[in-house]
Amino acid sequence: MEQILVNGAYLGAQYALIALGLTLIFALMNVMNFAHGQMYVLGGFVTYTIYGQLGMPYALALFVTAITLAVVGAVVEKFLFRPVIKRSQRDESTMLLAAGLGFFLDAVILLVFGEKQRGVPKLINGVFNWDFRVIMPYDRILIFALAVACIIGFMLFMQYSKTGRALRALAQDRDAAQLMGVDVDRYGMTGFALGAMLAGIVGGLLVTITGVNLGMGGPTSTKAFMMVMIGGAGVIPGAIFGGLILGFMESILLSTLASYGDITYLVIFVSLMIFLAIRPNGLMGKPWG
Amino acid sequence: MLKLENIEHYYDHVYALKKVSIELNEGETVALIGANGAGKSSILRIITGLNKPKSGTVTFQGKAINKMSPSQIVQAGIVMVPEGRRVFPYMSVRDNLLMGAFSRSSKTEIKNSLDQVLERFPILQERYNQSAGTLSGGEQQMMVIGRALMAKPKLLLLDEPSLGIAPKLVAEIARAIIQINKEEKVSVLLVEQNSRMALRISHRAYAMTTGSVAISGKSADLLEDDRIRAAYLGGEV
Repeated sequence: MEQILVNGAYLGAQYALIALGLTLIFALMNVMNFAHGQMYVLGGFVTYTIYGQLGMPYALALFVTAITLAVVGAVVEKFLFRPVIKRSQRDESTMLLAAGLGFFLDAVILLVFGEKQRGVPKLINGVFNWDFRVIMPYDRILIFALAVACIIGFMLFMQYSKTGRALRALAQDRDAAQLMGVDVDRYGMTGFALGAMLAGIVGGLLVTITGVNLGMGGPTSTKAFMMVMIGGAGVIPGAIFGGLILGFMESILLSTLASYGDITYLVIFVSLMIFLAIRPNGLMGKPWG
Repeated sequence: MLKLENIEHYYDHVYALKKVSIELNEGETVALIGANGAGKSSILRIITGLNKPKSGTVTFQGKAINKMSPSQIVQAGIVMVPEGRRVFPYMSVRDNLLMGAFSRSSKTEIKNSLDQVLERFPILQERYNQSAGTLSGGEQQMMVIGRALMAKPKLLLLDEPSLGIAPKLVAEIARAIIQINKEEKVSVLLVEQNSRMALRISHRAYAMTTGSVAISGKSADLLEDDRIRAAYLGGEV
């Protein structure tokens, strides 16, 4: 049981970080970024190239990954989402754009990095073993700690920095934020860059454990979307709860349902449908917290 | 200081403003009165840059501002307290006030303004770390006026500050507006449906009907004007 909970926390922390990026973009732009999973995969491949292929230090690889994805996010916002939002009256346009962007990124990844599963050398060797009750390789513990540190760092940034305050203000009341002098275009772009960066960082973290392959993008987008729906779209604590809940559900159900075959996600989807029928706004469905 | 000339604006081919010209001199409190839909809020949205006029010009301290973005206009010194207060509901009173100073950079000056605002509205000190959404309407109104003052405006635009506020607090807010105008030398453009209150605390006023200025003049005179009494003060007394 302890093992299951530890696995759940480990998964949940990664998921929460993915969901945070997605919910940030949604809160700021009212855009559901269906390409979020592809950004995560892209992050994984950038880290793979720099750390795995070129043999540079992992910290540097993670840093470059973060910057690369932030640039991708900023460019995508400025040249794709911003003009569409300005000229279209309908939310569907940005959804379609995001879905299209997902396919596009898939194609780019296929061209540049190929279709193979890629892994990188282990960060540290050794396994933590608590009396055979909890067994956890050290590198997983490190990645878990890094993910938690990123979550805390992101929350502190949103809470106490001037930029974070402006982003929260923009999410809560767009007009009022503008009246305080917040430049909507600039901060929209900042938010999008930050969201994409978070997705990329998770990719860079998880490539050291599970590796990365092209096919992970779509499912990750779907999972991120689920976490955000569980927690309530556009709410920071909601995204964290959503991520943790999905992480724990996955870890618990994978072990308890193992004997019934591969039905974990079937069960998760069915419970999500029932949950959303009862609470369509998720756990904390309100704009931005 | 502020000059609107022949402003025209329409939404979906329906005129919201027809050739509106308004002027405000430095140090003045000017009121815009009129019923719902008369175009008062449209004028404010045009001054702040949230809407762009279809024709006409807005000049502030001799510079045309009608092509500038909202954030540039804030930088120029025009700050609006929007209708319905528009607090950032899930942010603390402190963070709301600090958002008001978003366009400024000197930390010590911001701190001074914060102290001044908290002194002017002591209730905000008590609520300092509470979410703004949990405040009463009157408290929120004081907070958003304080938030606007944090930007150190030259011109303060107030959109319906008495709307949905308990009568006792309306008097308090009116007093605060007079003080801000006198003590901090901030010019004020006040939009109000509560015409009596607006005329009492302003120097001059423009009375609007369906998108154009019907009557204008000194507020004290307008209070005595029969047409104003009949149309804007409900006829009584």
